[in-house]
Amino acid sequence: MNEYTVFHTMAWPSAYAIYFFVIGIASALFFFSALSWFREDYYRPLREKAFYASFVLLAVGGLLLIGDLSQPGRFLNTINPAYMNFRSPLAWGALNLMSFGLVSVLYFFMMRKGDAVNSKRLAVIGSLLALGLPIYTGFDLTVHQHRPVWSTPLMPVLFVGLSLLSGAAVATLLNQGDEKLASALRRLMLWSAGAVGAMLISLLGTTAYGGVGAELTFMFLTTGTLGMIFIGVGIIAGTALPIALLLAPFGRQQVGMMAASVLILVGGMALRYSILYGGQILQTYY
Amino acid sequence: MTQELLMSSTETRGKPGVRRYAMVIDVRRCIGCMACQVACKAEYDVPLGVFRTWVPYRVTGKYPTVKKQFLPRLCNHCDDPPCVRACPVGATYKLEDGGFVLQHYDRCIGCKACMASCPYNARFMLPEHRTYTDITKVVDKCTFCYHRVIQGLVPACVQTCVGRSRIFGDLNDPNSEVSQLVAKHATQVLRPEQGTKPHVFYIGADRNLTDYGRAVYKRDEQADIERAVFNRNKHI
Ligand code: SF4
Ligand code: SF4
Repeated sequence: MNEYTVFHTMAWPSAYAIYFFVIGIASALFFFSALSWFREDYYRPLREKAFYASFVLLAVGGLLLIGDLSQPGRFLNTINPAYMNFRSPLAWGALNLMSFGLVSVLYFFMMRKGDAVNSKRLAVIGSLLALGLPIYTGFDLTVHQHRPVWSTPLMPVLFVGLSLLSGAAVATLLNQGDEKLASALRRLMLWSAGAVGAMLISLLGTTAYGGVGAELTFMFLTTGTLGMIFIGVGIIAGTALPIALLLAPFGRQQVGMMAASVLILVGGMALRYSILYGGQILQTYY
Repeated sequence: MTQELLMSSTETRGKPGVRRYAMVIDVRRCIGCMACQVACKAEYDVPLGVFRTWVPYRVTGKYPTVKKQFLPRLCNHCDDPPCVRACPVGATYKLEDGGFVLQHYDRCIGCKACMASCPYNARFMLPEHRTYTDITKVVDKCTFCYHRVIQGLVPACVQTCVGRSRIFGDLNDPNSEVSQLVAKHATQVLRPEQGTKPHVFYIGADRNLTDYGRAVYKRDEQADIERAVFNRNKHI
């Protein structure tokens, strides 16, 4: 279609990619803090640090989300029972985000009080809600049936994988030399990076061999600037290279793990950005 | 027949007792004068840079046998609209009687989920400033001129169409011109595979022209230059 009359803009700009990124990390960090009550031998050093980082990121994510609304003042509409549309994943997301925030605050007080019983309870509830965050962000994209790359059942699982991966990378940076924790996080990064890599390969496969819209999206995602971000930064530098690094002897040392973590974080941001944009770029020409 | 058409609870086509408005666009009669686009702009103070209806074109064939083909576009007032499903606060809704897909402007939070979910790019964000209207910074789209239709008028684009390419009416009324056209002619809808059941029917549209072409990927330099200019000025 020649376009001398109309240009469409993208619905969701990069603020959403940053939101996906920080909220993914926030939920994984909460999970690690919660895990510290059940696997004291490995995760204890992370309990407070991971929780505080998670809480700050949750606040940043919430502000980003509200700030991106063109009517930020109306964000309360999302939790107004008279307005809520339960067929929209966004409505569930808003509820999930609010309840996660609430449980996080309660968890903070119980943790400070040293109330192990209630902390454990809240840790479990909070972890389930934390798991809901990357799942709903994935669903947010999945439900758009006409957008290749987004509309795949892989999306919520991919977001959970990315969340664990980036969360473990941040936890590695927060770790102050505890060896047991480092080795647990290294294993976690390897497994989640492997899972993310496998999902990305299948995503590329189904997109490349899809219909004309999917095929064009594949072309946009694998060439030019977006190609460099998706393939170069996201897949090669941010997923494959850290796996190689972590498997090498250097990756067992603290400095090696830190290098891998930085790469994972840069890659995680690039992947979220390119998947968000890749799904929308085609429509701007329709 | 009616039973076969109804698949989701929101569908109103063929439902007894309710109206189902639709538009037929006979692309053989469209001359690309853009009068519809102008009438629409005037009707609802549609701001610069965004459109409730627009008329893209493609030039097909090889010189000297080239043909310019127009494809007037607007919200399809889908019978199973993904934009209604996507809206977290019910700001986008569908009227059962008439099938109009409309917008509660005072409720919209501007999350743009509806924009992301419309397979036809029929929605846009209203800019911060408008000339005569104070509805700003919410999502908007074609309303099938609901305000005119309830007064017994046809939409502004239909009224103004020079070639009588656009015809509007109640598809559930067997005597209306739209139902007769849809019954008599082979019609096309945009992207039927999306399951949205669009209610803008085209006569004479070629599927090769209504879907993505590879030209989208290898777009010409001029289009890129114009897009850059548009992106620079889109906040007017
Ligand atoms: S064309 Fe788009 S905006 Fe209009 S009803 Fe269908 S999905 Fe909604
Ligand atoms: S932008 Fe407005 S109408 Fe669209 S989904 Fe969000 S709240 Fe609903």
